[in-house]
Amino acid sequence: MTRPTAQVSAAGRGAAAPEGVWPWLRRRAADWAPAVVLLGICVALAVLNPAFMEPRNLVRVANSAAIPLILAIGATFIIAMGSIDLSVEGVMSLGTMIVAMLAANDANANDFGWWAPLLAVLAASALGAVNGVVHVGLRIPSFMATLGIWFVGRGIANTALGGSAVRVMDPSIRDLALHRMFGMPFAVWIAIACFLCALGVERLTRFGRYVFAIGGGEDIAELSGIAVRRVRVMAFTLAGFFYGIAAVLAAAQLGQSNAVIADGRLFMTVTAVVVGGTALTGGEGGVLNTLIGVLIVGVLANGMVLLGVSPYVHQAVQGLMIIGAVALSTRRSRLQFVK
Amino acid sequence: MPDRNVVPWLQNVERRRLLQTAGFASLAGLLPRVARAADAPTLVTSIRSLSNPYHAIWKEGADAFAKSAGLENVTLVSEGNSEKSIADIRAMIAKTNGNMVLNCDPNDTPDARPVAEICSKAGVYLVTQWNKPTDLHPWDFNPYYVSHIEFNGVRSGREIAEMLFKAMGGSGGFVALGGMISTTAAIERRRGLDLALKANSNVKMLDFQTANWKSQEAYDITSGWLTRFGDKIKGIWAANDDMGVGALEALRGEGLAGKVPIVGVDGIKAAVDGVRTGEFVCTITSDPYWQGGMGLAIPLAAKRGVFDPAKEPHLHREFYAQVTEITKANVAEYIKTQVQAHPVLNYKDLWGRVVGPIVYS
Repeated sequence: MTRPTAQVSAAGRGAAAPEGVWPWLRRRAADWAPAVVLLGICVALAVLNPAFMEPRNLVRVANSAAIPLILAIGATFIIAMGSIDLSVEGVMSLGTMIVAMLAANDANANDFGWWAPLLAVLAASALGAVNGVVHVGLRIPSFMATLGIWFVGRGIANTALGGSAVRVMDPSIRDLALHRMFGMPFAVWIAIACFLCALGVERLTRFGRYVFAIGGGEDIAELSGIAVRRVRVMAFTLAGFFYGIAAVLAAAQLGQSNAVIADGRLFMTVTAVVVGGTALTGGEGGVLNTLIGVLIVGVLANGMVLLGVSPYVHQAVQGLMIIGAVALSTRRSRLQFVK
Repeated sequence: MPDRNVVPWLQNVERRRLLQTAGFASLAGLLPRVARAADAPTLVTSIRSLSNPYHAIWKEGADAFAKSAGLENVTLVSEGNSEKSIADIRAMIAKTNGNMVLNCDPNDTPDARPVAEICSKAGVYLVTQWNKPTDLHPWDFNPYYVSHIEFNGVRSGREIAEMLFKAMGGSGGFVALGGMISTTAAIERRRGLDLALKANSNVKMLDFQTANWKSQEAYDITSGWLTRFGDKIKGIWAANDDMGVGALEALRGEGLAGKVPIVGVDGIKAAVDGVRTGEFVCTITSDPYWQGGMGLAIPLAAKRGVFDPAKEPHLHREFYAQVTEITKANVAEYIKTQVQAHPVLNYKDLWGRVVGPIVYS
């Protein structure tokens, strides 16, 4: 159940004399910082505007967080591996385009029903796999490989859409986001399912441990016999899979696909992952951290509107919160260099 | 874009005509320049991108005018790169030897000046739209810089606000979604909203947030507003349709679509359809089809000597053009004549949509 970094510390603890509560608490504080920040924001908002705690509002926050969460879960595996994935927006544009063009829509006569989202997720996973293959096969840094795929995905989507906004007219696909089960939009349930799946992959599978092992030290992982290249390709494919699901939900939620539907998603995704405490250097953090990170960003955005913060101040506050959250969750003592 | 790679004046000439011209030119001997000047001019459209519906329709309008005039339209796309747009225009002038007219939506405000200078020097008649520095005027470049066309953002913002207030029954609270803070259109439309607010004291703006022109951001903000204001929200003002659509979808998720009136600007398909179904109150379009066609018709008429730009009043050189308001009353007609088919424009009516001089603030 423990990840490599945790194992190391557990071993260290076993070897040393039993430590006091205080040092242990101090060492664990960084782990809990994101959760504490989230709790703090929630309490502050509830005091400033009691409407925040109303169940309807919590449902709305959850609904707004559903798509960012699924995207961020995908990106978590990449970032935990010490790589970066910039192709979020490109893969997502491609996915929403496929949903909009193949489901009943107002631009062509297609009506493939549930095949549309299925193919969208498949195509997104395939593009994710291309990311991995280009990155590993051609030995191009993930930064550049995924940057290229970002524009490839977006280019394909733009060409197919021809500059127009195509509307999704299939009510059953729209229901993916709109239909409510136990008072929550279906999108939220899908996000929860994705989260549990990802948590299972991270904690219970060998693949999940390999990802963190590679992020912690790729040379050691390789020497230990991990097929690093294969794990990398698998991780990028998995990320593409999650982006594909997010794309389907975005098309369902907004009822359309256009060239800019994914704009701004990359920044939010990486922000959420990092604010949650997954280190950009890799090997630390995880899906649970990402959930908290997404909620911090989502609650903050909701709070800005609830408190009526001027839009001119809005972005600045968001930036400060990001720096604050990352500062709290970084273990500075361990960092030798900051680049 | 295949049409950018061919030499337009050669492409345009039929073989027989080419032979005739060649024969005439060889007979006339020493007058090759005159023979060339008699050739059909190339129509050139310079726009930002083809990946948004607005400019896609702009190009359709340009191609339709070219077809009606029996000429060829070449569309240059800057992809948001000012240097590329100016370099492309230079290249076109070199290719056509200056035998062209240009309809340009400058990528950025300062770009209009070099474009005007290059065209004036090469004898190319030019129309610009939307962006130009306030101290640059077409009459400083007589006769080649024919006109500059803009649309009154203050007025659009005010008109949709007034339509919204009417739909709200003249009282109650509403929320407003603004565009990207630094853009002229966002600032002007907001100012229009403020003017309308001043004139309607029974209406109250509950909150103003910016959603950066994007439906997704508008969706999240509207969700937050539903918590904060609940059913106090009697209307939603959006600085563009995409944000209006985002707000509409947020309402739909709560079963409120069609119950809270929404207004926007741009006339995108989803909004026009919303007007049809009653989920939108109105939207406003600058008619990019007209912009694409008339932006070429005006400089072509000047080139052909139909009018002398230098003798035209300033109102024809620099003006706000008319916008079309799409409401429940005309939406069926609009869909029939503008969405399902393209209208036949009267390209001889050069100044029919002039509504007034541009006001600089």
